[in-house]
Amino acid sequence: MTTTGKKLVRLDVRGEVCPYPMLKASEAMKKAKGDEVIEVLTDHPPALLTIPNEAVKLGWDVSIQRTASAEWKITLTKSQTPEEGGKV
Amino acid sequence: MMDKVATVPQRKIRLTGQALLGGLALAGAGAVFLLLGHYPQWQLLWVFGLLFGFILQRGRFCFASAFRDLFLMGEARVMRGILAGLAVATPLFTIAMYLRTPTLLPGNYPPGANILPLGFHTAVAGVLFAIGMSMAGGCISGTLYRIGEGYTASIAALAGVMLGFVLLAFTWGFWWQVSVAHSPLVWFPEHLGYSGGMLLTLALIGLAFLGLVWWEHRHRPRLSWAGAAIAEGGNAPVSHGVRGEMRLLLEKVFLRPWPVMVAGAALGVLNAALFLVHHPWGVTGPLYQWMEALWRPLGVYLVPLPPLMGLDQFGGACNPALKPPTAFGLTHDAMLVLGMVAGSFISAALAGEFRVRVPRQRRRYLQSFGGGVLMGYGAALALGCTLGAFFSAIPSLALNGWLFALGLLGGSFLGASLLRRLG
Repeated sequence: MTTTGKKLVRLDVRGEVCPYPMLKASEAMKKAKGDEVIEVLTDHPPALLTIPNEAVKLGWDVSIQRTASAEWKITLTKSQTPEEGGKV
Repeated sequence: MMDKVATVPQRKIRLTGQALLGGLALAGAGAVFLLLGHYPQWQLLWVFGLLFGFILQRGRFCFASAFRDLFLMGEARVMRGILAGLAVATPLFTIAMYLRTPTLLPGNYPPGANILPLGFHTAVAGVLFAIGMSMAGGCISGTLYRIGEGYTASIAALAGVMLGFVLLAFTWGFWWQVSVAHSPLVWFPEHLGYSGGMLLTLALIGLAFLGLVWWEHRHRPRLSWAGAAIAEGGNAPVSHGVRGEMRLLLEKVFLRPWPVMVAGAALGVLNAALFLVHHPWGVTGPLYQWMEALWRPLGVYLVPLPPLMGLDQFGGACNPALKPPTAFGLTHDAMLVLGMVAGSFISAALAGEFRVRVPRQRRRYLQSFGGGVLMGYGAALALGCTLGAFFSAIPSLALNGWLFALGLLGGSFLGASLLRRLG
């Protein structure tokens, strides 16, 4: 559980290259019921581009943190207001 | 809207261990340059290789994802970067070719231009190559710069490429008989003049761009661009004064990823510059020479590698048979390949993105190796990879580049569905 009371889903895709980090994150977002926080751990720099891209399309907010040398945590939370034009 | 949607870490210039490593590697690259002092051509290709590797890494410029994501995501972001590169390179290549061959005569082609035999083998090669690059997670140039970034699976992919070359060498006779021998060279300027050929190529690039926009809108609204903008630009800090501006510039060049259109255009200009002083960008030729050099000791005990016969009648930068292999397969062209790996390493380390990456699932090695075999086979059959047979062939105003591209599209469609199944 996170501080906001949402369920935390951890997705470790370290060692995976394109397109897998994005595909797996996408799968997790599509499976989510909306009250989860998804944390994606990756060491693949292109995923910092492809995952936010996919997240925005699906109506999720994105925040990226560098957790170690060449390692990042992407936190995904469902947007309160769906983006116009998105398939939400 | 973007601020609400995402927060991206600020990329600040800091002296980390990695940055230090990158600086050392840069100094080392400079030392190699000085050591090659008596071989200006080696120096030249080393510098070009470093620049190509640097830009590929900064732009995350990946031909495999450009083609694959059209089908996997209905997205053409990277493909737009490629088209930008082609559009920039086309007029510059035209100038380079005009300087070499000002008078157009039938069968008189500018030396070095990637005008390659056009036959159904071109399309087959494109399909095989694209399935391979989808599997391996990167084309041959992608594999090279990934090695520089520390991806161990890419080494398996490169080994696969070498095996693919061997397999093609032993089956070349078949392809020669059924297709290559009676394949024409179709070069637009021969029929339309230089300006006509250039305009036709630019018009085709324009049409391809229109097609991409249509394709994207068919799949999803342009909303996806918000995500790309976030990741590329980050939350740009407001700069103060000259010092702040300079700092921001350094951050943009060395720390943040480059917008893919900028990277594409830069690669297009660099490709044309290389053509003006040497020949267009390509890596299949030098890699094929390495394979030949590796096979030679084996050939004594097993079977000698059959030569790719008949190639002397065709031009092209990626034409392996035109250059006799040296003792270790090291020619000046090898410096281009080595430079790409080194340039990518320097770029990744300076940005703090280098890391020895080992896939958790061991089968990824097999997947990369198998993809590499298909890529190697396809690249040797087409006499070029996504660079030689596509990125350098279309600006050469040759039709073979377009047919190879169609093959790449077909193979990426198959590759994308295969990727979904493999999981």
